[in-house]
Amino acid sequence: MDIAEVLKHTSPDLFIPDLKATDKSSALAGLVEGLIAGTDIKNPDTILQMLQSRENLGSTAVGPGIAFPHGRTLAIQRLTILIARCPAGVDFDSEDGNPTQLFFVLIAPPQDTGHQYIKSLAALIDRVQDEDLRKKLMAADSYEAFCEAMKEG
Amino acid sequence: MHPQLQLLVALQDMDGMIRETEEQGEEFEGLGFKHGGLDGLKKAREELASQIDPSLSSWYRRLTGKFGHAVVPVVGNLCTGCFANIPSSFVSKTNVNKVQKCESCGRLLYWP
Repeated sequence: MDIAEVLKHTSPDLFIPDLKATDKSSALAGLVEGLIAGTDIKNPDTILQMLQSRENLGSTAVGPGIAFPHGRTLAIQRLTILIARCPAGVDFDSEDGNPTQLFFVLIAPPQDTGHQYIKSLAALIDRVQDEDLRKKLMAADSYEAFCEAMKEG
Repeated sequence: MHPQLQLLVALQDMDGMIRETEEQGEEFEGLGFKHGGLDGLKKAREELASQIDPSLSSWYRRLTGKFGHAVVPVVGNLCTGCFANIPSSFVSKTNVNKVQKCESCGRLLYWP
C-alpha cells in the first residue's frame, strides 16, 4: 500500500509532536487523549482498554524506537491513525529494551473487509525501517514536514 | 453509556482480538509482532465476562453464534446489523436506563 494512502487516515489534529509520558501506562493514556482531541470519539475508556489488552497480548514496540499500538474496536467508525513523538523516550516493553520515541497508533472498526488496517500497518512498518528517515521524522518541525518526509523516496 | 453495555463492547473487542490473533496470527508475526500473552488475554476475557449480567451474557453468546457480532453501532438511526430503523425514542433512553436491543434483529445497540 502506498504510504500517501496510509496517511489519508491521519490529520494535523492527530499529531502529537511532544508526548509527555513517564511509563507505558501514561504513554497509552496520552495517546488516547490525542485520539479524543483529534476525532469525535466519545468512549475513550473503551479504546484505552482495547489498547491495553493488545499490549498484554504482546508489546507493539517492534521497531527501533518505534511502537505501533493497534486494534479494532466498536468505538470507532473508520480507520484512524494517530502519530506521536516522545523525544525523551519511554519504556514501552520493546524487545531490544530501548526506549520508544515514535508512535503510530492504528484504530480500526470491527468490520474492515479490505483489511485496510493490516495493510496500513505493514506499509508503515516497512517505511520506517530507514534510519535516516527516522531521524528526519524526529526532527520534522510540523505535521506537514513529517508527512512529506514519510512520502519521500 | 450504560455500564453493562460498556462491558459488552469491551468483551466484543476482546473476542475480536482473540479471534484475529488465532486466525491471522502468522500475518501479524510476519510484521514482527509476538502474541505470547494470548492465554492471559483469554483469562482476562473470562474475568470481564463474569462481570456481565447473566441474561445479557447469554443473549450476547446467542447473538454472536448467530450473527458473528452481538453489539452493533447505530448510525443514522439505523441498526447496522439489520438496517432496521431505530425509533428516536430509543436515543434519549440509550445512555441511562438499560441496554437497548434492536426490535427487528435483537442485536444490542451501541451509539458510538
